[in-house]
Order: sequence, then structure tokens, then C-alpha cells
Amino acid sequence: MLKNKVILAASAMVLAMAAPASAQAVLTVSSEQTTTWVRNFNPFNQTSARATTKDFIYEPLAIFNRLAGAKWEYRLAESFELADDLKSISFTLRDGLKWSDGEPITADDVVFTYDYLKKFPALDFNSVSALMESVEKIDERTVRFNLLQPNSLITTTIVAMPIVPEHIWKDVADPVTFANETPVGSGPLTEITRFTPQIYEQCRNPNYWDAASLKVDCMRLPQLADNPQVLAALAEGTLDWATSFIPDIDNTFVAKDPEHNKYWFLPSSIVAFTLNFEAPDENNKKAFTDVNFRRAVSMLIDRQTIIDIAGYGYPVINEDPAMLGEFYKAFSNPEVATQFGQYGKFDFDAAMALLDSSGYVDANGDGYRDNPDGTPITIDIEIPNGWTDWIDATQIAIETLKQAGLNVAMSTPEESVWASDLIDAKYSMSLNAIASAANPYFPYIRSFNPDDFGKSRFSAQRWTDPEVVEMLNKYTQVKDPAEQKTIMDAIQLKVAEALPVIPVYNSPSFYQYSTKRFTGWASADNQITSPVVSNANPGRLIQLLALEPVAQ
Amino acid sequence: MAFLLRRLVFYLAAFIAAATINFFLPRLMPGDPIQIMFSGAGSNLSMENLNALKLTFGFIDAPIGQQYLAYMQSVFTGDLGRSIKYYPLPVTELLGRALIWTLGLVGSATIVSFVLGTLLGVMAAWRRGTLFDTVVSLLAIFSSSVPGVVISLTMLFVFGYTLGWFPNGYAADPMLDPEFGWTYILSVLHHGALPMFTMVVLLTGGFAVTMRNNMINLLGEDYIVMGRAKGLGENQVMLWYAARNALLPTVSSLAISVGTILGGSLVIEVVFNYPGLGNTLYQAILARDYPVIQGQLLIMTSAMLVSNFVVDLSYVLLDPRLKKA
Repeated sequence: MLKNKVILAASAMVLAMAAPASAQAVLTVSSEQTTTWVRNFNPFNQTSARATTKDFIYEPLAIFNRLAGAKWEYRLAESFELADDLKSISFTLRDGLKWSDGEPITADDVVFTYDYLKKFPALDFNSVSALMESVEKIDERTVRFNLLQPNSLITTTIVAMPIVPEHIWKDVADPVTFANETPVGSGPLTEITRFTPQIYEQCRNPNYWDAASLKVDCMRLPQLADNPQVLAALAEGTLDWATSFIPDIDNTFVAKDPEHNKYWFLPSSIVAFTLNFEAPDENNKKAFTDVNFRRAVSMLIDRQTIIDIAGYGYPVINEDPAMLGEFYKAFSNPEVATQFGQYGKFDFDAAMALLDSSGYVDANGDGYRDNPDGTPITIDIEIPNGWTDWIDATQIAIETLKQAGLNVAMSTPEESVWASDLIDAKYSMSLNAIASAANPYFPYIRSFNPDDFGKSRFSAQRWTDPEVVEMLNKYTQVKDPAEQKTIMDAIQLKVAEALPVIPVYNSPSFYQYSTKRFTGWASADNQITSPVVSNANPGRLIQLLALEPVAQ
Repeated sequence: MAFLLRRLVFYLAAFIAAATINFFLPRLMPGDPIQIMFSGAGSNLSMENLNALKLTFGFIDAPIGQQYLAYMQSVFTGDLGRSIKYYPLPVTELLGRALIWTLGLVGSATIVSFVLGTLLGVMAAWRRGTLFDTVVSLLAIFSSSVPGVVISLTMLFVFGYTLGWFPNGYAADPMLDPEFGWTYILSVLHHGALPMFTMVVLLTGGFAVTMRNNMINLLGEDYIVMGRAKGLGENQVMLWYAARNALLPTVSSLAISVGTILGGSLVIEVVFNYPGLGNTLYQAILARDYPVIQGQLLIMTSAMLVSNFVVDLSYVLLDPRLKKA
């Protein structure tokens, strides 16, 4: 076909022209989807810098490897020590670290970075300054962070911040608008050798401390605007590493080259139905604030069918009334399943029985269940326009809900309208995704902290319990892991009892790879790290270092 | 002269009014860019990120009067600010990249369809009542009444997916570096062929129908009879007597088309994933990227007003009857 011939001819000419003298190991990656590349490698620009800035240009102090033994892997730091009173933590950098321009990496750079965050709060994307009393240099390689409150989880927050070189950034007039086009970094791939709006290449750091482990010379990042374009590139065999939703992946991707094309989906953010405790409709509110109603609705959600049909079988089922599920199974409290597990499972008969016994019967003869006091319940489920998997999931749920006699319908407003409705709690019922983190403390505090109501959509259900909030605060102030577990168990039990959201599944984080040019990939049989190449996952650095080129 | 001055003042007033509407209209939409960044599918942002973002894009929260004054100032100084979605890329650079593609695609498609449509209309009117006229008129009305999105999607599906003759998106093969080499230009032409063809199909009908109707009104005029009587050939009378007079209203519709070129053709660009101004505006609206929306609306408004002004000027030149007025 003409199209293929022209593209093949063009590609052949380009490849012939571009092949360097020494065969470099070039990894082709799709880490983010956008319509054009903008040359921005400023690690503090959370939303607009290139996704390969963190971890690959600016290496973290340490990485928490959740999969391979849930342990810390030390990178720039060779060790850290959390004080017994949890009010300070000190990090010791490795000896002999150098920036990519040859200057040494010292404690001065760390202190400088944190003072910088205080000076320019717009850079502080993790709100870490608010937790610090002071940051002091102990010696050339050691820094101590003194905290305002005891906080056992501070390590995760600190290592999420990039460390930048003082000798470059002290001369930057406005770091917020600084695009950092030629970055000086500490990570494995810091040199930008080529940059156009359609493609850029990021190559080896000449002064990388762990150069012996790095077998990839360059990463090539073609600009791909959306999932279908990533799929086209994967199917053609030009991508080595991607993170994208691919429908029917066995047929559309694996079948193209079964020997090399592989994938592994790991559970990630929770997707749950949320009923608005502050629903604008008074009658709906009466039903939503009744735990029996919520439990009944939860038992009417056919999670497995939703996963198989709407999700193509990719997501992992979440029947945990405490919201945690498979992702946090290391933290789960078995009592939750014993006492409340039945409310997370699909059970049509039990749901009907519960609705009947709680008084939700058809009072006015219109065929739909009403409140115990006779007022009607009309539920409108808001789903963002274009999110086809959520729309399909909701349609499946509506089938059973209608069968059970509930008056439900779906509307699909624009994404930004949906988001603002959730933030302002101006909706009835919706689906919501809550990002996962290293510790269940984070999704809990983001969802149930009354101070955050109205600030983000994680608290869209507008439910809180002062005891839970108090326990969450206490959780960060105890060091003993056994004591932490007791508190977390109690929190889970309270949340499970109240069932503030109705979990459906854990979204998969997508990971596709090809063994044609590189081996050493993480997989279900080789769980060395979380290999998702998006910039939410520092573990991708460990994956990069595990790769080896295949002899061509 | 006085006429032109009066027109200038009128256009300036129209420009300020349009600029004001361009400012308020995007802000009437619910949602703001930071919320959208948070809610985006696959968003990794957490509560802790919110404050930093609000500080970076704080200009959104300033009182509306202040924002409006800053905006009007930027309109006259040409500093359109920085995009929110592609921060810190300046809006002018973002729009500049897209402008080239839009001028190329929409510009050439408009010229081609104008020439083609006008010629077809002239010939159809001259041969009115014959098979040629019937066929051309029907096709023209059909192609201008079927919604653009239907034709675009059909073209894409048939020629892009099913037959595979043309690529499914982009302005050029993404693996190639932009340069003036033969490979790149060939790729650009290959990628632009289908959208251009679709646009020509969509636009030609309108021009053809207008021209034909204008012509038919004139065919009974005395000077047509005079031309024939003088012994001039059919084609000469058709073109130099009839068409030339029928051209006037068509020129003004051409001017309006030229004015809309810089709006890109949103439907075509989105369907064919072509990186022009229309697509950029569409993406900016989805992301509530106010600086880019304002910038692009400004370009569209200015282009329309300028082309209308040019039409006013050209009428004075083209129509001798106006000179006396």
C-alpha cells in the first residue's frame, strides 16, 4: 500500500542517515501522551516538565521498592536515619557523587534546594516546606531535616523532591518560568542530544555514579498524542517501553509479535462509586447518609462483570469495604473481611432483603423504591464525557440497580464540569478515582480530612469521622511498626463499618514492553520493581538499570 | 477618504467589543485549568501539589477586573502570556507553530475550492438546464449541506483505515525531523492530501452555488446580448461580461472565508489530528487554557475584521458605481 511504502522508504532513509558510528543501545519509550514536545526539564514544574525529568535526570535520594521485599533502595543517599522522637531525619550522601557537568554533589546542594523551596513556594509541589522547621548541613555529605511535628512518613515526602545543583540554580532569576532546557543532573540519562516537537533523545550522564549498572545509552521519546497512536507504534514494533490503555491487548498488541510483545498490569488507583453525603437533593441525601442504603447499593454492583466487560479484564477487583484492596494487602486487617466483607460482594438477594428491611419500598406505586418516609429517590450518576470504560462500568451497574427497583440514570458532562461538581459536592452519585501511594495513610487522609473538603475531588463524598482523623494523625507520630499496625487496623475497621465509598476495582497501571531489543524486564515472574514508566513511579529507575541490550 | 476613516473607526470599535467578549466567554465555562489537571485521566497529582500550582498559575484567581485590564493591555502590546498546559511556552510560540500548518492546509484548500467552485458555478449557470448544470448543482448543494464532520469521518475511514492509502493523523511522519529536504516535504504532502481533499469537497459546493445564482441573475442583462451581438465568442462573453459582474458578491464571501482560515477548520483538524490552529484551540478549550484561548480568539477576530476591511476597500476599486457614491 502506498502509505506503508512511503513511510517505509522515508523511515529507511532517516535510519540510514541517523545510525551513529558506534552502535548505541537506544531505548524507545512512551512515558507521556501530548500533542507536541515542549523543551521543559524543570523538575519543579509538576504539570508541564517532560515526564523523563524526574528519576532519569534528577535521581532521588532513595526509592521505596514496594514489590521486591518492600524495602528502601538507596540511590544518591547511602543511608538515612529517622530519629526516635520522629522529629528529625538525617540523610548521608554517597561519597564521590558528581553532577553531569563534573561538579561534586554535596550536602550544600540539598540545603540549597530546600531553602529554594521556601523562597519560591510555587516550586514546592509536595508542600514539604510546611513540614520543615529547618534543614541543616551536618557535614559535607550529611543533611538533617528538623520537622515541626513528629512524622513517621516523612521519608516518602522528602525523597519525592528532586535535588538540584546550587551552582546552576542560584543564578536563575525566576525558577517558576525557567525551562531548564539544558539540564545538569545527577541521574543516568541527563544529556539532551536532540529535541524537536516530534521527538527528543536523552542520553548517558558522563559522570553518573552508577555507570557500571547502566547498559542503556540513550532513550528516544517520540511524540504520541493519545492511546490509539501509542497502540499503532507498539503494533509496528517501534516502542520498547510504554504505559497506555490498549483495548483487547492480546489481539491488538501481543498477537503482532507473540515472541517479543508482552505486558503486565499492576493494580493501582482505587475506582469507587461515591454517594454524596451533601447531595443537593434533600431526598437523595436522606438515603445516601444511611449506611444500610450504601451497603445495599454496594451489594448491587456486579464488580466482576464490570471488570470483564468495561475493563477488558485488566483491573483487579476491590471488594474491600475499607477501600484498601489488593494494592495495600500488606496493611489489611482480616477483621474487616470477617465483620463487613459481605457488604463489598455482589449479592442481589441480600441487597434486596436489606433494602426491604430498611424501609426502602415503593411507597407511591411508581415502580421505584422510595425513602422510608415516602419521599422519592432519583439518582443521576455523573460520569465524565469520553471516559468510555467508566461509562460502560456505570451502565452495567445501572442495569442491576434498576432491576432492584432504584431510579437511576447516567449523565455525561464534560470532564471539567464533572471535576468541579465533585469538588463542590454538587452531584448525586459518581465514580471517582483515588490515587494510590506507598502507605494507606495517604488515600485515607486525602479523602476524609475535613480541611480538604472543597479543595480536590478526593473528598467528594464529604464524609468524615473525628475519631478516624485523630487516629490518622496519631499514625504519623508513632515509630513502632507494631503500634502503627494497631492504629491502621482500627482505622480500617471504622472505615469499613461506615462504607463511605463503594469500591469497585483497582485500576491497572499499564505497562507494555518488547523483548526484541532489550531484556531484563520486570514481569509477574520477575518482580524486581514496579516497571511503570510514568513519572509517578520512581521504581522505573530500577527497571532502567536492569535492562540489557540484546545482541542484534 | 472620509469613507475609509469612518470604516476604520467602526472596525476599531468592533475589535474592542470582540476582544472583550473573547475575554469573558471562556471564563463563563465552568471548571478551571488547575482542576482539570487534577482530574485528568491518569493524573498523578495529589492535594499537596495544589498549592504550588495555584501559586504558579495564580493569575487565574486575581479579581476579574484586574485580569481584564491586564488582558486588554496584552492585546495591544502583543504579549499574549504563557500557555498553562504547556507552561512555560509562550502563547505566541505555540500558536506560531500551528499557524504554519493551518495556513498551508486551510489556505490552499480555500484557494483551490474558490477557483474550482467559481469556475464550476460559472459553467453551470452558462449551461443552465443541461445535464452538466443539474449534476453540478445537486452535488454542490449536497456537499455544502452534509455536516462537515460526517464527510471528514467518512473520508478518514474509507481512505485512511480501510484502504490505507493515506495516514491517519499528523502533519508529517513523526519520525522525521522538520527540514526542507525532499523526504520531509513528501511526507507533509502525503499527510496533508486527505484533509485538503476533504476541505475542498466541503467548500467548493458553497462557492459554486453562490456563483451560479449570481450569474443566472445577470444572464438576461442587455450587455450580455450586446456582447453576443458584437460577435464575441461564447467563452469570452461568459467570462469577461457575465462572470466579471457576478464576481462581486463572491469576492465578499471569499473574504469571509479568508477571515476564517486563521480559525483553522476545527472539525477537519480534530478528525485528522492535524496540528493546526483549530486543533490547538480545541485542546485549549478542553484544558481551559485561557491564555491560549484568548490568543487564538484574538487572531480569529483580527483576521475577520481585517479581511472585511479589505473587502470594503476592494469594493471601491472593483465596482465603479461606488466611486461616484
